[in-house]
Amino acid sequence: MPRQEDTTEELQRRKARFVRALGRSTEKVLHELEADDRRPATMNRFLDVLRRAFLSGEEVDGPALHPGQKVIGTYCIMAPEEFIYAAGAVPIRLCGGSYEAALAGDDLVPRDICPVVRASAGLTSFGLLPIYRRFDAVIVPTTCDGKRKLGEALSDFLPVWMLEVPHIKETERSRIEWLEQIYAVKRNIEKLTCRKINRKTLREAIGRIARAQYQARRLHELRSADPIVVLGQHAMLALNAYAYDTVDEWAGAMTRFNDELEQRRRQGRSVADKRAPRVLLAGSPVVFPNWKLPMLIEEMGGVVVIDETCMADRLLYDPVGVSEGSMTEMIRGIAARLIMPCTCPSFSPNEDRMYRLRQLVEKFRVDGVIYHVLKGCMIYDFEVARVERMMKEAGVPLLRVETDYNPEDVEQLRTRIEAFLEMTGAKKSEARCESNEILCGN
Amino acid sequence: MRMSTLRWTVLVIAFIVLTYGGLVGISLGDFLPTFACWYVGESRGGDCFLWHVQHHFSGHGGPGYLVRPNAPMLLYFFLLLLVLGKAWCGWICPLGFIMDVLDLARRRLNMGYLFFSQRLRARLAPIKWVLLFLSLVVPLSCFPFFMRSQIASDLSQPYCQWCPAKYVVPLCVGNVEEIAVNFRSGVGIFMTAVGLVVAGLFLIGALTKRRFWCSFCPMGLVIGLCRKISIVKLKKNCQACTRCGICYNVCPLDIEEIFTERTRTNVTYQDCILCMKCIENCPEEGVLSATFCGRTIYRATQKGFFSNPVASGRRARQEPAVGAADTISADEGEPVLSGSRPS
Repeated sequence: MPRQEDTTEELQRRKARFVRALGRSTEKVLHELEADDRRPATMNRFLDVLRRAFLSGEEVDGPALHPGQKVIGTYCIMAPEEFIYAAGAVPIRLCGGSYEAALAGDDLVPRDICPVVRASAGLTSFGLLPIYRRFDAVIVPTTCDGKRKLGEALSDFLPVWMLEVPHIKETERSRIEWLEQIYAVKRNIEKLTCRKINRKTLREAIGRIARAQYQARRLHELRSADPIVVLGQHAMLALNAYAYDTVDEWAGAMTRFNDELEQRRRQGRSVADKRAPRVLLAGSPVVFPNWKLPMLIEEMGGVVVIDETCMADRLLYDPVGVSEGSMTEMIRGIAARLIMPCTCPSFSPNEDRMYRLRQLVEKFRVDGVIYHVLKGCMIYDFEVARVERMMKEAGVPLLRVETDYNPEDVEQLRTRIEAFLEMTGAKKSEARCESNEILCGN
Repeated sequence: MRMSTLRWTVLVIAFIVLTYGGLVGISLGDFLPTFACWYVGESRGGDCFLWHVQHHFSGHGGPGYLVRPNAPMLLYFFLLLLVLGKAWCGWICPLGFIMDVLDLARRRLNMGYLFFSQRLRARLAPIKWVLLFLSLVVPLSCFPFFMRSQIASDLSQPYCQWCPAKYVVPLCVGNVEEIAVNFRSGVGIFMTAVGLVVAGLFLIGALTKRRFWCSFCPMGLVIGLCRKISIVKLKKNCQACTRCGICYNVCPLDIEEIFTERTRTNVTYQDCILCMKCIENCPEEGVLSATFCGRTIYRATQKGFFSNPVASGRRARQEPAVGAADTISADEGEPVLSGSRPS
């Protein structure tokens, strides 16, 4: 239990080591991203957000972030951020993506669990980043086994509010139970902030998040545009930055980002070769700074035209639907948007995900699917077979990539991804030749 | 114009025409598939079909009346059903208008609403069948036996005595005569007393539940039975649906099937009143749409969704791109709720 003996020299030294290593590896990723001249200029703002979150180290400590406001940490996309903003607090998405933090978390959680959980545990227990030393409470939805037990493990360090997510979302009973859970979170937040969430504040909060969602959807549309205007690694990074930013600033930055992409589209400027295989990155979340997979795919000549991860495309896709603006309706709307369209494999049955993937393959004219499985992420791995079967029917090849945050397997992954992209690329040009009725030589 | 604004406009115009139209000589006839209440008196601009059906069935005007006037009336009635289908309920019905006005009052009072669970919906479903059965069978049974008796005349409009429209709509023209128990006979006392209780429940219901009476309306049932042949339809592209459930949440009739449906294209359900709120609030491009004669007349769009004043996307688009970032300092010094966006 690192925190309890925080004063011991050995632990302090370990912590300092983790912080240094985390800083180095994050800086490396940020440098690589910055060195890429295909990135939109307006992406710098998102890089700054991440740099501030990950590299300000000891300089910016707890209360200096968001002074005078309560900060509520959230895991998964089922935490109702609308309430947090409506109560005048700030939400921060805490799912960890750092290799060093995952090592630090090994004392607290089993080594076989997925690195997201291990990293989150490590970041919290050691307080490796300023934001992890700051929050007043944390909402942990009980999605997968890892997150569920993570909530218990974290409760040694700070107040944890478990949010029981139904695993069968089809029945009315589970919807009603979920609604009760949502009301309970609302009460917790009101108690913590000593502010009542009323119609006006909630309405405003929904509007503010809707504005960010509008921009996220705009990006979604722009990613489907014909000249490829943005690389997947850049689009996903912009979306990832939302986790550490406040909604209004992020929406503003995203507006400018989208405007730049829009301009590229009008100019017909493409950031990738027309023949590049269009990849759908499916499966486990890609959390900054674990950027190796999207970078690798795009380094090897593919383009991640779309992803279906909960830290990128799905993060802000589903808005709250409100027609009359009464409290009942808004809360029901929030409850619905958090789980009904969610395609997290912690739901079972999860037929909605199959529909969603089919939609994405069609809309984004996907040539191949790279299915990311984080080691220990059982539920995403469970669905590989179904997804593969479905993709086979659609005639789209799928590559299952099992990895964790450890950078050591990069070379091995490179070989596999290269081979896969070559294969899909060849298939693509073949298909193109056939459709154009051009004789392709030998 | 937003669909909800358009619907309100049509609803108001229809209400004025059907309730006050008689004052300027409008008479749309006796075959309207909507609660244009007969009891409004001279100022009404048209008559509810159900009143006349019961009237003729009960043998007023002699035995020949059972068939002769009913035939053309029925024909016109079904033609109207064919053309507009359930849109009569959502767009024209005066009682529907009153419910929507009460609904507006509820929102002004800052009240939430009750919603019927699917189980409750299933349990309430037989009520409208019972009411339909009563409104057809009771007058018919009066016809041969007690042609001129008091009981027959008191039972000649059984549904109307229980219909909240009889008590509520005449109030809009200042007619308070209907709000009284009819002491002429025991049957009269019973029928009108039950009717007044129903009207009271209606007022409470309409103030707490969206489109309360539509779940019980026998007229809506008849229209709903013709939904397959009606040329106005609600369609869904099940492949593109993300099942976000917004359509279900905004549905005043709490129709769950609208979002759980994964196979059928035609989603005009029995209870649907074609208010098109689901289409207006659907965030997926073209997933829900309304068709007239097979041609799409209105479809869901992302743009339409984000122009909703509550979801506030409209402001997002009208705002200059730099507006938001400029109004807040970069270091989150301001409390998030103030000054973050122009209102």
